Amino acid sequence: MEHKYDIVIVGAGGGGLFAALEAVRTNPRVSVAVISKVYPTRSHTSAAQGGVNAALGNKDRDDTVELHVFDTVKGSDYLADQDAVDYLCSQAPSVVRELENLGAPFSRFPDGTIAQRPFGGTVKDRCCYCADKTGHTLLHTLFEQCLRRGVTFFNEYFLLSLEHADGDCQGVITLNMATSAIETFVASVVILATGGHAKMYWNRSSNAAGNTGDGQAAALRAGIPLKDMEFIQFHPTGLRKSGLLVTEGARGEGGYLLNRHGERFMARYAPQKMELGPRDLVARSMETEIIEGNGFESDAGSYLELDLRHLGAGAIKKKLPQIRELSMHFEGVDPIEEPIPVRPTAHYSMGGIDAAMARTAIRGVYAIGECACISVHGANRLGGNSLLDILVFGKRAGQEAALEAPERKVHGITPAAVRMVAHEIRSYAGHERYERYGIIREEMGKTMGDNVGIYRIEGRLRKGVDEIQSLRERFRRIRLFDTGTVFNTNLIQILELKNMLDLALCVAVTALERLESRGSHYREDFPRRDDEAWHRHSLCTMGGDGEMSLNHKAVTMGKYSLETRSY
Amino acid sequence: MERREVSFRIYRYNPQVDRTPFYDNFRIAVEKGITILRALNHIKEHLEPRLTFRAFCQAGICGSCAVRINGVSRLACTTQVWDLLTGSGDETILIEPLDNLEVIRDLVVDINPIMEKLKRNYSWIRPAIPEEEMGRKEHIVSDEEFETINASSDCILCGSCYSECSMMAVNRDYISPPVLLKTFRMNNDTRDTFACERLREVTTDDGLWDCTHCYKCTEHCTKKIPIMDGIHRLREEAFERGMTQTKGARHAQAFFDDIRDIGRLREVTLPLRTKGVLGSIGMVPLAVRMGLKGRKPPLLVKRIPDIERVRDIYSRLEANRGES
Amino acid sequence: MQYAYFLSCINESMTKEVDRALNLWKKDLGMELVNLEKGTCCGGSNLDYVSPNHFIIINGRNLALAEQMGLDLATSCSTCLLTLRRAKHILDTSSEKREMVNAHLADEGLYYGGTSDVKHLLWVINEDYGLERLAVKVTAPLRGVRFAPFYGCHILRPSALLGRDDSAAPSSLDRLVEALGGSLVEYGSKNKCCGFHTLLVAEKQSLTMTGNAIEDAVRSGADYIVTPCPLCHTALDAYQDKALAGRRASRNIPVLHLSQMIGLALGYSREALGIDRHMIAV
Repeated sequence: MEHKYDIVIVGAGGGGLFAALEAVRTNPRVSVAVISKVYPTRSHTSAAQGGVNAALGNKDRDDTVELHVFDTVKGSDYLADQDAVDYLCSQAPSVVRELENLGAPFSRFPDGTIAQRPFGGTVKDRCCYCADKTGHTLLHTLFEQCLRRGVTFFNEYFLLSLEHADGDCQGVITLNMATSAIETFVASVVILATGGHAKMYWNRSSNAAGNTGDGQAAALRAGIPLKDMEFIQFHPTGLRKSGLLVTEGARGEGGYLLNRHGERFMARYAPQKMELGPRDLVARSMETEIIEGNGFESDAGSYLELDLRHLGAGAIKKKLPQIRELSMHFEGVDPIEEPIPVRPTAHYSMGGIDAAMARTAIRGVYAIGECACISVHGANRLGGNSLLDILVFGKRAGQEAALEAPERKVHGITPAAVRMVAHEIRSYAGHERYERYGIIREEMGKTMGDNVGIYRIEGRLRKGVDEIQSLRERFRRIRLFDTGTVFNTNLIQILELKNMLDLALCVAVTALERLESRGSHYREDFPRRDDEAWHRHSLCTMGGDGEMSLNHKAVTMGKYSLETRSY
Repeated sequence: MERREVSFRIYRYNPQVDRTPFYDNFRIAVEKGITILRALNHIKEHLEPRLTFRAFCQAGICGSCAVRINGVSRLACTTQVWDLLTGSGDETILIEPLDNLEVIRDLVVDINPIMEKLKRNYSWIRPAIPEEEMGRKEHIVSDEEFETINASSDCILCGSCYSECSMMAVNRDYISPPVLLKTFRMNNDTRDTFACERLREVTTDDGLWDCTHCYKCTEHCTKKIPIMDGIHRLREEAFERGMTQTKGARHAQAFFDDIRDIGRLREVTLPLRTKGVLGSIGMVPLAVRMGLKGRKPPLLVKRIPDIERVRDIYSRLEANRGES
Repeated sequence: MQYAYFLSCINESMTKEVDRALNLWKKDLGMELVNLEKGTCCGGSNLDYVSPNHFIIINGRNLALAEQMGLDLATSCSTCLLTLRRAKHILDTSSEKREMVNAHLADEGLYYGGTSDVKHLLWVINEDYGLERLAVKVTAPLRGVRFAPFYGCHILRPSALLGRDDSAAPSSLDRLVEALGGSLVEYGSKNKCCGFHTLLVAEKQSLTMTGNAIEDAVRSGADYIVTPCPLCHTALDAYQDKALAGRRASRNIPVLHLSQMIGLALGYSREALGIDRHMIAV
C-alpha cells in the first residue's frame, strides 16, 4: 500500500508532535502524516520528570539567555555547537510560554507565573516544571492540540527504511504492525523524531523498551552519518532490576550508598561531597566498586545499596513518597525496611543523527530530539535541556518543513527498495536459522555494560567492538518464531534488535577511537580532556557492507572558548 | 531471594488462526520483587515467543501495559506478582486483555475508540490567545487553579477505567470515563474558552448523565485519580450553565425540589418528572403490577417535621447566590 | 447497641419489607434503632449535582441530628450510606466547609462536630454484634440454601470511603451468609452494578446490567440472590421480568433483603418478613 504526503514525521513524542503542529499552522495546505510505532501518549517524553529549562526570569530575575547558553556549553564540556545552543536558549522562553498558552499545566509561583527550580549544572534556577510530571503533561498537551488540528496519525507503524534518490528525500518504508503489511509513505520531507538509543544497554538502562534508535539506524542505512555516538549519559542510581531512575533527591535528603561490606564507599572517591558528588563522578565510583568485586550479586546482576532507613519512616513518607512507591512497585523493597538495590543506568544518548540545525545530509530529511545530534548537548546534557531540545527543534523543523515541502519534487519509492526490505523480513522465518532473540539481546546488553560503560579502556573497548561484531554476525541467523501477521511483536523485537546492534557498534567504535575523557565519555587510559587532538565531533558512517567508517567534524564555536570544566 | 512457582493463565487469541479465544498456562519460578510485566517478558522470551502484549516505559507512566489481572484492570508493570499470591499450594494468576475493547491479538486491544471519543468531545484547550501572539507571556494561573486540575492531568490514558466501567460494558457508544475526566480537566482550566460548547457535546446521548455512579473508575484508576469527583463536577457545571433539560438533570432536580418541599423523595412522580409523560408511558404496566402487590409509593408523602428549617436553609442559600 | 437510624426514602415506601423484617428481630440482638425523625432524604448524589452546598448542608444536618442524639448512624440503604459518608469525609477534612455548615445549622441548635460514624446494617451485624454471637442465635439455619450475594456498588466503592471489603473480592456478606448456615455460590457479578441509578435515564443499558447479574446468579445455581441494598433489590426483583425479557434465562430467581435473610435464620416466617411482597415469587 502506498501513501503520499508532503511531510511525514516519524515519531510522536514531544518533538514529532510539535513539528506536526507547527507544520500545519505554518502552512495549512501541506499534508502531514505522523507515523509512530506506539500511540503518541505512550512516547518516552512521558517519562521525563525534571522539567524544561528557559530563562524566563520568574525565579532569578537576573537570569538571561546568555547565562543559559554558557551553562549549556560548559555542561557539554565544550563539545556543543554554540550556534545551535544560542538558538536553543534564545527560543526557550517563547517556546515554553507557547506550550503554556496551548494549555500545558505548570506549577506556579505565588504571583501566578510559571514556577522555576534549580537543576544540575546551572548557575540560575530556570527549570520550569509541572510537579514531577513535566514530560507527561507536555506530551498530552501537544497530542491534544494535534487532535484539535486534525493531524493524521498512523499509529503502530514501524519504520523500516528511509528512502532517498541521490541525496533527495523520497519518503519512508514502514511495517503496519496490525497486519504486517509493508506500506510506503512517499514524502517530500521526512522529519525523524524517533527518540534515543540508550536501551542498547538493555536492563542497565532507564529507557523504555522501544527506545531502540529506529530513526538513527534507518539514517545510518541511508548513508547519513551519526555524530558523537560515544557519548551516553549514565545516571548513578537506577533500580537494579528495571534500570528505572531513583532521582538525585534521595541522596539529597541524606541517603547513603553502600557496598556489600556495608561501607559508605564514596568516602574513598569524594571524601568531601560523599554521595552528593557530580553525577558522572558518583556513577564512576559505583562502577569501580562493582568491578572490584564489592557489589552484591543477584539474578538481575551486580548492584550496590541506597540506604534510606536511617532517615526514618516519617521523613521517607513525607519527603520521598515517590521513591518509596517506585522502590516497592519495581523492586518489591520498602526503603523504610530495607536498602534499595541500585546501580548506574544508561539514561540518555547525546549522540545521534548528524543534523546541524535539524537538517541532515539528505535534502528534505530533518532529525530532531534525542535521535538527532545537532549538537546542543555535546558530551554531556544538562537536566531540563532535553525537553527544551525537542520543543525548540521540533518547532523549527515543522516550520521549515512546511515551507520546504511544496518546493520539493519527489519521484517515489522504488519497488526494488520495497522488495529488499520485504525479503529481509521474510528471511527471519527461515528454518535454517537458529539464533535466539533473547540471547543475542542479553549478550548485547552485557557487553555494552561491561565494555562500553561508564569506565572505558582500550582493552575492554576492543572486546566490546569484537563482541558486537560477532553478535551482528550471529544476528544474520536470528530466528523469528512467530510467523503470524497480526501484531507480531516477535518481529518488531527482532527489527529493534537489528537497529540496536548497528548503533551499539557505532557507540563502541567511536568510544574506542576517542583518546580522551570528555563529559560522559571517560577513558581510564586517557583520563584528561585533550582539546588539541580531540575537540571535534566524531562521525560514524555505515557502508553498504555494514562496515563502519569514522570521520570528524569541527565544533562550531562562539562566545565561549575552551576552559577547564569544574563545578 | 525468595522464589516460588507460579502458574500464569493467559488469554490467547490470534484471529488469523483461532476460531475462538482460549487460555494458555505457563508455570514459572518467580522471585520476590518481579512485576507481572517482567513475568510476561520472561514467558515470551523463554517459553512462548508468540505471546503478544503491549509494553513500553516499564515505569507506570506511558499506560501501554494495562491488562486485567485476576479480573481487575491494572498496569502490568506496576503490579507485583508477590502481592497477588494467596499462599495456597497452587498459585495461579489470570491475565486477560482489557474489557470493553476489541481484542486485536492476545492481550492487545484496539484503543482507537478512546482516541476517537477524545476527538469528538473536544478534549483539548482552546485558548483565548490568538496564534500570532503565542509565546510572549504565560497566563497568570494561581496555585489553587493549578491544583484544581492537577490530579486530572495525571491521566495516562491507560484504559483501565474504560475496561472497568459498568456502562461501557453494556454500551460501546457511552462517552466513557477517560473522556469525561479529560472534559473535566479542560473545563476547569482557567485558560480554556470552550467549556460551554464542550459540556453541551458531552451531555448529549450516551454522555455525561448515563454514568451509573458505580465508582469502578475511581476504584481502579492506576494513577489514583478520583474520576467520579470529576463527573460530579461536570454535572454541577451543567446545572450552573442551565443545561437542565436532560433526563439526568431533571432527575436530579426532582430530588432537590422534594427535599425542600417535603424532606422526602416523591417517588410516584419521579419517573414523570425525569422522563416526561410520553417517556413514562412505558412504565405503566410495571407500575400497575407493582401496585397490585402493594409495592407502590404513596401518592401523598407526608412532610417531615421541621420542614421549615430545611426551607430556611434553601432560602438562605438562594439569598447568598443572589448576592454573589 | 443503640443507633440513630437513617431509614431511606425507598424503605419508607416501596421496600417497606426491609424495615418490617428488621423490626421483628432487632430486639433479639439487643439492637435499638432510633429513627432520625427530623432527618431528610439524603438526596443520593443528585443533590450534589444541583448544588454542592445544599448537598453538604442537608447531609451535615442529618449527621448533626445523629450527633445530637449522641449516637452513630446506621442505615439499611447503601446509597444513603455512601452519600452520608461522603458528606462526612468532606466535612471532616475541611474546616471551611464545617464552618459554613454550622453557620446554617446554628438556628436549629444543631452542630456538626464529626462525632457520629455512619454504618451499614451489614457492618453493625458483622462488626458491632459479631458473627459468632449471631450464629449462636440462629434457630433455623439456612442449611442447603444457596445464596448469590449481590453487594451492590455503594457498599463497596470507593473503598477509600467505605473500606470494609476488597471491592474486587468482597467477603463480608459471604461470611454473614455462612454464619446463618447458608451456602454460597461463586459468581462474577457479586460486586458488579445493578444499574439502578440510570434506570430512568438509560433504561435499556441499565436493564442489561440488571439482566446480566440475574442471569449470572441463575446460571451459578443459586436459590436466592441476597442484597444489602433496597435499590439493588428493586432493580433485581421489581425489574427482573423486564431485565430478563428477550433473554433465555432458565428461570426467575427470588431476591432477599439482608434483613429478611437474617430474620429467616432467626426463626421468623416468610409472611412476617414481607417476602411475599416481592415481585418475584419465592
